[in-house]
Amino acid sequence: MTGNPVAGALQVVLAAENAAIFGYGVAGAYLSGAQRAAATAFWNDHRVAGDTLAAMLRARGAEPGAADDAYRLPFPVHTAHDAISLAIFLEDGVTAAYLGLVAGGGTGLRGFGAQGMQDSAVRSSYWRGSSQAFPGFPAAPPGTTHVRPVQ
Amino acid sequence: MSAEPTRRRVLAAAVAAVTASGAAGCAPGRAWPWATPPTPAPDVGTLKDLIVAEDALVATYARVVSTFPALSASTAPLLRQHQEHLAALRARLVIPAGAAPPASAMPRAHPAAEPFPGSAHTAVAYLRAAEHTQAAALTGRLATVTPSLAQLLASIAASEASHAALLTRNPR
Repeated sequence: MTGNPVAGALQVVLAAENAAIFGYGVAGAYLSGAQRAAATAFWNDHRVAGDTLAAMLRARGAEPGAADDAYRLPFPVHTAHDAISLAIFLEDGVTAAYLGLVAGGGTGLRGFGAQGMQDSAVRSSYWRGSSQAFPGFPAAPPGTTHVRPVQ
Repeated sequence: MSAEPTRRRVLAAAVAAVTASGAAGCAPGRAWPWATPPTPAPDVGTLKDLIVAEDALVATYARVVSTFPALSASTAPLLRQHQEHLAALRARLVIPAGAAPPASAMPRAHPAAEPFPGSAHTAVAYLRAAEHTQAAALTGRLATVTPSLAQLLASIAASEASHAALLTRNPR
């Protein structure tokens, strides 16, 4: 990796997109019908995003990081239910990677990073059937915990 | 014995200077450093605008639900998340004491310009448009704020984009 912080931030997002491409290959095998069609469409979204990121890195004189052959699954995947959980895991990971780009990619890449977050949050909400208040953040964004309503 | 006349002379000179310049505020000399209010950070104006817009979105949801109670169950989680967005934005708003109110760059606070919907079906489309408008307002401010606030705005915009998608998928 180069010493360029913007290229470094882009490499992190590319690594996340590459992992999602692998993960959807696993998840899609356990899905059928509309869900399988969605997994295929989303797998393609991630491939396009990966190509875009690789081109952005080359334009900055950096060599895009290569995808790994296989990634350790976060839990065993044997059923459609597991596959949907995996898809949610993938989209949340990609959203968090783009969130990093919003802060670390310079002001010129913030809009790009925000769009990436919106795309993955929309895909995540498809699998969840619900939305998140602060996609990309582990729980609440820093500094807001004290204002969240007490249950 | 020698200090006393000196001190008296200095005091006399100071009194003479004040008298000469007059007691009013038009005196020559430097203004007190704290006479000028501190300039709020650019984030303050952005936050104020976005809080007004998010507040209007919450009010839009409340009005839709009170007019079309059938939409209450499906929109309640979305409304709850908007209230979380509003709380997070308000938590970031710190205005220095005595600061002049920042000029607003956002001409219109209300998210939807179209007339209030006449049916539950068009109300869903109305909410969807309001979500898209607010997400665009948030992303439009990303370039001028601190990295930390940019992350919060991008995350809220992503949440609102997913609301719009859910409103498309689950019209009722």
